[in-house]
Order: sequence, then C-alpha cells, then structure tokens
Amino acid sequence: MFDFNVSLSANADSSQIYDTIIIGGGPAGLSAGLYAARYKLKTLMIEKAAITGGQLTSTEWVENYPGFPEPVLGKKLAKDMEDQARFFGLEIINEDVSKVNLDGEIKEIITSLNTWKARTVLIATGSSPKTLDVPGEKEFSGRGVSYCATCDGPFYPDKTVAVVGGGNSALEESLFIAKYASKIYIIHRRDSFRADPIVIDRVKAESKIELITDTIVKEIAFDASIRKLILHNKKSAQDSSLDVDGVFVFIGANPNTALFKGQLDMQDGYIVTDREHQTSVKGVWAAGDVQVKSLRQVATAVGDGALAAYKIHKYLDS
Amino acid sequence: MPILDEKVIAEVKKALEHMKNPVTLKLFTQSFECGYCKETHQLLEELITTNDLLKLEVHQFESDKEAVERLGIDKIPAIAILGEKDYGIRFYGIPAGYEFSSLLSAILMVSTGLHKLSDEGKKFLDSLNKPVHLQVFVTPTCPYCPQAVILAHQMAYYSDKVKADMVEVSEFPHLTQKYSVQGVPRTTINEDWYQEGAAPEHMIIEKIKEAL
Repeated sequence: MFDFNVSLSANADSSQIYDTIIIGGGPAGLSAGLYAARYKLKTLMIEKAAITGGQLTSTEWVENYPGFPEPVLGKKLAKDMEDQARFFGLEIINEDVSKVNLDGEIKEIITSLNTWKARTVLIATGSSPKTLDVPGEKEFSGRGVSYCATCDGPFYPDKTVAVVGGGNSALEESLFIAKYASKIYIIHRRDSFRADPIVIDRVKAESKIELITDTIVKEIAFDASIRKLILHNKKSAQDSSLDVDGVFVFIGANPNTALFKGQLDMQDGYIVTDREHQTSVKGVWAAGDVQVKSLRQVATAVGDGALAAYKIHKYLDS
Repeated sequence: MPILDEKVIAEVKKALEHMKNPVTLKLFTQSFECGYCKETHQLLEELITTNDLLKLEVHQFESDKEAVERLGIDKIPAIAILGEKDYGIRFYGIPAGYEFSSLLSAILMVSTGLHKLSDEGKKFLDSLNKPVHLQVFVTPTCPYCPQAVILAHQMAYYSDKVKADMVEVSEFPHLTQKYSVQGVPRTTINEDWYQEGAAPEHMIIEKIKEAL
C-alpha cells in the first residue's frame, strides 16, 4: 500500500570545471545525463526540486512511452531514468539556478550556494503550468485552485470538482481525480478535445465525468462559504454559475526560460535550436519541452536529450 | 512482510553511507486510535537496519508524558530526528512516498552537519529573536513537497528558534481543516501566515518576516 522514494542530492565539487552541466532533471535532462555519463563526460545535473523527474513525477500513468505494454507510473519511470543515469556516473545536485553566464569558453551557472563552471551547458528546464488569469485564481491557489492532481486530488473525496482544459493532461488528470471525487466537470473552450482519441473515449466512459464544451471560466468566485465558477458559454453568449469544491487547471504550459532571456534566441518564450539542439550561443544546447518543437512528450524529450548529449560529446572532442 | 523492499533497502544503504555521527529516531506511537502508527514503527525498525549509526527509541504517546512534553509532541505517529541535540525536526504522519526522501535528507543533515541554506538565509536565521514554528503540509504523492519540507527542516537544524514539522494531511484532517489547507505543499508559519508551494528560501524568509 505504501511506496518509498529515495532521491537525494549529491555532494558535488564546485571548484572543478565540468565538461557539461545539465540544467533541469526531467526526461530530456536525464536521458542527456545518461548518454553524457556513458561518453565519460564529467557531467553535473542541477535540479531545483528535491525530486528528480520533472513533470513525470506529477503524472500518474504513462501509457505512450514505448517499452511498457502495461501502463507505467510516472514516478516509477522518473526514478528508473534517474537510477540508470546515476549508475553510469551522473551527479545530481538540488540547487536553484539564479543566474547564468553563457558567453565565453567557460559557462557559469550561479545558484544561491555555488558558482558552477562548465565547457558546455544543456538547458532542459522544461515548462510550468499555465494559469487561467481570471479573478479569484491567484487568491485561491492552494485553497481550492490546483495545478497538480497527484498532489491535491486526495483533498476531494466524494466532492465535486471542475477541471479546465481539453488536452491529454486535462483528461488524464480528470481520470485520476475520479478516484477521489464523486463528480467532475471538464470545462473546455472548444467543442472538440485535442487529447488523444483513446483518452477521450475513456473519459466519455467514466460516468463521474461530465463535459462542458465551448465554455470558458470567467471567474473563480470562492469565499469562505460559497464556492462556484462563473462560466461563459461562447456559443450562446450566456453566463452561468457552477458549484464546485475545487478546480484543477490544465491548460498547457509556459517554458521555464526567464533565466536565459537576452542571452539566447527565443520564439514565444521557447528556446530556438537547430535540428541538433544547438542554441544561438556556442557551447549551449537545449532539449525537451523548453525548446521550440511541435510535440512535447516523454518520448520526444528523451530523443532530444540523447542527441544533444551526442553533439556535446562531439563538440568537446573536436 | 517487510514494508521496504530489497531494492529500496539497497538504495537507502547507499544514501546513508555518508553518515558521520549517530542519529536517534524517536518514535511516538500508541497501540490504538492511530492511523499509521504501526506502519511507521515497522518502517523505522527496517530503516535502522541499514546503518549502525541509526538508533530507534520508541515512546508511548499516552504514557510517556515526560518525553512527550520535552519534545513537544502533540499528535501521532510522530518522529523526532535527534543528533547531538534536539533540533526541532519532526515528522507527523508516515513519511511514505516522496516524503521518504525528506526523512533520509533530515537524517543525513543531522548526521553530517551539511545543509543548503544560503549565506543570506543563515544571516536572517541568526537574527531571529522570536520562535518560529513551520508546519509543512504534504501528501505522499506530491513530488514538490519534499523541497518545502527539507527547507523547513534545514532552518530548524540551523536555528534554535525554528521548529519544523512535516504534516501528512490525510492523517490529521483536523489540522487540514483548522488551517484550511486544500493544496500541498503548504508551509504555515506560526499560526496565521502561510506560503503556498515549494517556494525558494528567500520567499519563505520574506513570509517569516511578515509573520513576526
């Protein structure tokens, strides 16, 4: 009934110059770390969270990562990726990067504790959930407004919740929340869902879930006694209110690129790379959700990470 | 049947290889009306087999009044992590799932003296002249929670003024209600202040300043 996760920060040495520093420990960073360690590059991963694995750690089941005919738990896949990379020598430390200096032969990665130095840098900082930006959202974040189903789903046993969004995350997380809640409304601004058809079928088969389409959330009108959402139907142009105990927001993600603004070419906030993941600055690569790309999945992230590590290896060799 | 499987035991052994000084885990438990007391006890029994520097002391919550009072234990299961002294590091509820990493981090910190507080953070903690009680509410499936727990425990380790608890929400619904917690991690500061999410050190410090 219980599981026990072991994920601890290494004690790395900031006086040495690393061959490569990987910023971010999601699937892209971990696969790059695995490859880089096997190329015998002196590799350091800097992950701000105590638990490595990025968004995988807050995903319940992963069904579309090849090699797992039975669905695999996101946290298990993350842990296995971490263990595999560590086995080959990847060092992972938990520090929060506050500044980077990417120009020059030696790159500097600055945290509140250390200045780390490396010949090359791989940025794999991923993305963070987008917010709705409607009244009430900020005030009630963590008090009824959530962006993480595995974290906060347990707060809603036999309760009514709304899930906002129409992609795979929104629908899959709704199925997770259905383990706790008695009623789930999925509110989506369009009339069709962009989630994978197999996920849509499963949501439609779950009797606890009701779909509300062509509708946006105008306001999260929560107070001490009443909790409701003010909805706006785009087709009928009518407003309505919906009583809920909580709301989960899964409407996509924003890239975690604030650290790199002004130092790298970007497009809509995402880092621009060539086909081999090289950024606009020599010696700096980017992989995974943080870069400009068309499909953001575990399967594509690991490919990005592997290729970036290979190119870093070639670059250091020459 | 063991609660920790062989793979986890091997990982724990490896992680705790870096221990330097002895660490005492004080468990407060009772045989009735306690959600996960039995499981927490079993977990710690198995955990201490991984390293000779670990010691477990079991206290009965209902009868061992002196220890309960001295360590300020007010609910069970409770684990206090002691080294040379009591730093005010507590776990209320079973440290399962991702919180197992928080438990190992606390043990390592107390054993090695190594923490990750910044110079500014230490300076602020040195300047504290009032007590600070941090309660970090968590669920075992929350991957962002250990970051908040580890930070709070580091502050408790460093400063005699700070006490820091991990609180597992499902085992203490009255506290969840009292502080109207509906999302984790949530760090409450003394009674009336809180910080949402796995916030960086400087943000928690700003909140503590507001709370004092």
